[in-house]
Amino acid sequence: MMAAPLINYVALAAVMFFIGVAGVIVRRNPLVMLMSIELMFNAANLLFIAFARAWLQNVGHIFAFLVITVAAAEAAIGLAIIVTTFRPQRYVDVDEVRALHG
Amino acid sequence: MHHALGVAGSYPLLVALWLLPLAGAVIAWALGPQLRTLAGWLVAGVVGISFFLALLSWGAGTQQAGDALGAHQVLGTWMPGFDFGLLLDPLSLIWTFIITGVGFLIVLYSVGYMEGDRAYARFFAYMSFFIFAMLTLVLSDNFIGLLVGWGLVGLASYFLIGFWFERPTAVAAARKAFVINVVGDVGIMFAIFLIVANVHSIGFGDAFAAAGSWAAPLIFAICVALFIGAAAKSAQVPLHTWLPDAMEGPTPVSALIHAATMVTAGVYLVARCAPLWSHSAQAQLLVGTVGGVTALAGAILGTAQWDIKRILAYSTMSQIGYMIMGVGVGAYEGGVAHFFTHAFFKAQLFLTSGLVIHALANEQDVRQMGGLWKKMPFAFWAMLTGVLSICGVPGFSGFFSKDQVIYGALVHGHPWLYAVGIVTAGITAYYMFRLLFVAFLGEYRGKLDTSHLHLPGWVMNLPVGILVVPSVAIGGALMFGGESSPWAHFFAPLFGQVSAAATAAAPPISEGMTSAIVFALVIVGFAVAWYRYARPEVQQDAVARLRGEAEHMPAILTNRFYVDEIIEFLFVKPARRLGLFFGRVLDPHVLDGAVRELVYWAGWGGAVVRSFQTGFVRAYALILFFGAACFIVYYAIAAGAAH
Amino acid sequence: MALVPITILLPILAGALLFALPRADRTLSRTIGTLVAIATIAMLVAAGTHEWSVHWLSRPFAAAFHFGATPFSFWLALLLALCTACAIPATRVARARDFIALVLMLEGTMLGLFLARDLLVFALFWDLMLIPVFFGLLGWGEHPVTAWRYFIYNFAGGLTLLLATAAFGVIYGSTDVIGRSVTPLVGAWAPWIFAGFAVAFLVKTPVWPLHTWMPPTYSGLPAPMVAVVSAVQSKAGLYGLIAITLALLPDYLRAYAEPLIVLAAISLIYGAVIALVQNDAKRIVAYSSLSHLGLIVIAIASRNPLALKGALVYIVAHGLFSAALFLVLGYIEEREDSRSLLRLGGLGWKNPRLAGALCIAALAALGLPGLAGFVGELVILIGVYQAGYVWPVIVALIAIVIASAYMIRLYQDLMNGPEVADVPVRADLTWLEGLAVAPLLVALIALGVDPAPLLRL
Repeated sequence: MMAAPLINYVALAAVMFFIGVAGVIVRRNPLVMLMSIELMFNAANLLFIAFARAWLQNVGHIFAFLVITVAAAEAAIGLAIIVTTFRPQRYVDVDEVRALHG
Repeated sequence: MHHALGVAGSYPLLVALWLLPLAGAVIAWALGPQLRTLAGWLVAGVVGISFFLALLSWGAGTQQAGDALGAHQVLGTWMPGFDFGLLLDPLSLIWTFIITGVGFLIVLYSVGYMEGDRAYARFFAYMSFFIFAMLTLVLSDNFIGLLVGWGLVGLASYFLIGFWFERPTAVAAARKAFVINVVGDVGIMFAIFLIVANVHSIGFGDAFAAAGSWAAPLIFAICVALFIGAAAKSAQVPLHTWLPDAMEGPTPVSALIHAATMVTAGVYLVARCAPLWSHSAQAQLLVGTVGGVTALAGAILGTAQWDIKRILAYSTMSQIGYMIMGVGVGAYEGGVAHFFTHAFFKAQLFLTSGLVIHALANEQDVRQMGGLWKKMPFAFWAMLTGVLSICGVPGFSGFFSKDQVIYGALVHGHPWLYAVGIVTAGITAYYMFRLLFVAFLGEYRGKLDTSHLHLPGWVMNLPVGILVVPSVAIGGALMFGGESSPWAHFFAPLFGQVSAAATAAAPPISEGMTSAIVFALVIVGFAVAWYRYARPEVQQDAVARLRGEAEHMPAILTNRFYVDEIIEFLFVKPARRLGLFFGRVLDPHVLDGAVRELVYWAGWGGAVVRSFQTGFVRAYALILFFGAACFIVYYAIAAGAAH
Repeated sequence: MALVPITILLPILAGALLFALPRADRTLSRTIGTLVAIATIAMLVAAGTHEWSVHWLSRPFAAAFHFGATPFSFWLALLLALCTACAIPATRVARARDFIALVLMLEGTMLGLFLARDLLVFALFWDLMLIPVFFGLLGWGEHPVTAWRYFIYNFAGGLTLLLATAAFGVIYGSTDVIGRSVTPLVGAWAPWIFAGFAVAFLVKTPVWPLHTWMPPTYSGLPAPMVAVVSAVQSKAGLYGLIAITLALLPDYLRAYAEPLIVLAAISLIYGAVIALVQNDAKRIVAYSSLSHLGLIVIAIASRNPLALKGALVYIVAHGLFSAALFLVLGYIEEREDSRSLLRLGGLGWKNPRLAGALCIAALAALGLPGLAGFVGELVILIGVYQAGYVWPVIVALIAIVIASAYMIRLYQDLMNGPEVADVPVRADLTWLEGLAVAPLLVALIALGVDPAPLLRL
């Protein structure tokens, strides 16, 4: 099997990660922000797998599974928070939520 | 010398006579509401049985075997060196007789005196408890047992002074008596620390055996610490102020606790620890001097009182001063003899005053009395014999014991105390006859209708009548004949060597001469009292004269030498001020203030940091990524630099 | 022996299960609570000094869930169980079920503390035992600030305890050391470890000037809980000083004995004179505790064997009389809606049993000869004097005189004097209340007459 050079994976992961960053910072819809966070997780997963393959150690695979699990849990909690926070309103916009104001 | 070690053995009678009053107290206390008036008879019976058992224990208490004197019963132990037991030797035997014997008569009297009281049973429970506590004090063979008794008699005294606790004066008097007595307890505690640190034992015998090898300062310190306890309990200057106030208690209490028994515990302590005192001349001088000063001060203050019980209270203080002076200078038999006769005649005087108070509906001011010899002849004759005895009129009991003390001071080399003793005897005659004349002679000056006096029944008269016999005659019967008297024989095994050591040189004045001088001064005191209160001319305008005397009484006497005020100023007020300062300033403002200051600045820091929390979620994200970027850049540079 | 951990878990689980009971049924909660507390006593006695251990950590240091009473902590555990059993039966607070549940949990966590043979477990239970009191103060106290003050003060102590424990474990290699003969720790870190332990223990006891959480806590908590807290929780610090500081770091206790004794002597006098002028009955007892526990700290710092024996007697005696005092004052407060000495008075006429109970407890507190408090004071001071500390002995004697003044004042102002007309008078001590304080009073008298079982240690 012909493997792409490692740098390609790293580059792809970096692109995915910064797309995710941009999504979190720029978008005001919490659902989209959540998806952007997923994107960052997956960038990290990609790196784990790529390095695991390259260095022939399967610790990376294990970590990837761990991250997927945590991400699923986080998504569940995140969605629950979003639902309860925005239930009184008819639209979702994180800039309208100031409960975290100190 | 005997080191307070009795013949070891099992003495069930001794244990029984000790514990019976406790059982009586518990029963009277627990079943009081059910027993009603039976409680009084129960306690009287219990104490009477105790007295009977004490008589039966005579042989055990006086037995001698080798170095051992008396009876010793083991009770138990806390740990090595802390062994408890009962010791009945001649000294504790005498006290046991008085505690249970006079105690029995006074409890009997109380059955009548307390009739109809709201807390009748409680009174007898306390009385019985007191007798148990006092027996604990005198029967213990060790310092901690003595201290336990010491504290418990203080407690019983507290309860009985404050018995009528709806009266604020009684409550205050009880509190004062308790706290001053704790000062004494603390003194004894300190003595125990010194003793245990040196002999690792609390037993009298061990301490006395070791005393000979101790350094003089140590013995002196132990004696002083013990004497703080003795002074507080026996109302010696300057710890005497609680005793006059203690007259707030019912009169039988004054007779039993504050005249016959508890207040003489200090005399017992010094006599018991004679082997310690005999090694310290300074301690003897201190105790003798305090006793002499107290005798004189009590007598002087006794001349300025109007309350019949307070006159007797100051006379008690003065007479205990004599006893303390006696045992202090080393005249142990004399001091103990005066305790013995005093117990009878002072109990009799108090009980007689109780008859009067009872009859006059709780009137205690002698100015509101007068002419009582016609209304209450029995009380008059009882009072008269008591007065003659306390004044030391030759032939009466008080004469034999008091002269032993006064002469003892001279024999043991204290001429000044000897002089004080003689002068005090004269003053005593003055104020006691003053009491007798003002209260019993002349015309009745009170507001009651004297044709319907509440005259006491046989249950109150009988104990007084019985007490007249010893207060007149027991001194002559036991103490006549000086060195060869039964009294001297009785105590010879205990005090023989201690006293004999100092009697080498013959004093310049003989004992008979001393008695003559004392009697002359007693006559003078009597004459002055007669001149001021009993002449026919005086009696005609007695009311006006007494009022005038009260108005012109020197302030220093009406204020009792300002001792209360000095104690208040030196100790009570500073403690309260300190408490208020600590409690209202230091604690809430300085100590807790420092903590609150810490909390305030923590809060301030929180407020500063909080201002970064805008609540704008995307800003948080931006800051997060900016921080992450900083880290990445930092490590990138660091890695670059490492290459 | 598995009975040991069961003894600890029983009150905690029973407390948790109480929440499942119907809220309104006070009698049921009280009955269950009392039965559990009595069962705990029985199990403690049955377990004796048996031990039970399960491995916990091997790195960075060895630690184990190791429980079991030492001869010394056995008495503390017994005192705790007795005080709890006496506190619960006559509880009359609002929301009694929740309150009793908290008291049971308090008992369980403190049992864990006293029975722990591992420092780390000790530190764990140290923090756990704060939680029920914190909620007690929040739910039943007079002001929530008191709860936070209590919690932060003691939790800060818990933090220093934890740090010291961790440092000790790392250096020594094991924390399974309580009640064992270990080589004393020395070295550069040892003074800091000592300081960490000492701060925690001195805050808990408390010792001047770390005491300002204590008066509001003791006066704010309802009587049944403060009876347990003042009687036993305050002894956790003293227990720690003896079982940990004295056993593991004796050299530093010796080195810092003088400052400790000075602080304790200040506590002695400071608490006494403040108690003299307080008008709040519970605060008088609170400040008297400051004073009395100072004496025990002096005893420990003197390191004299006799003084330490006396310290055990006085720890038990103080537990008994402060529990009795707080319970009786609680009964008075429930009846009269006040605990101000200025407002109350003359209760003795209508409440002879209440007066008797208060009297015995107050007399034990002022060190009346013949009661347990006296034995403790006397033996401690004999030992301290033997150790060569004369001035602390004199300070303590002065404090004893002051104690007699404030305790008599407490008793007289409540019970004596003319009856105060506007005070609502309710019935005298009920049989249940009497039964609840009676064991404490009987123990005070019994140990006052024969303290040999405590002195034999």
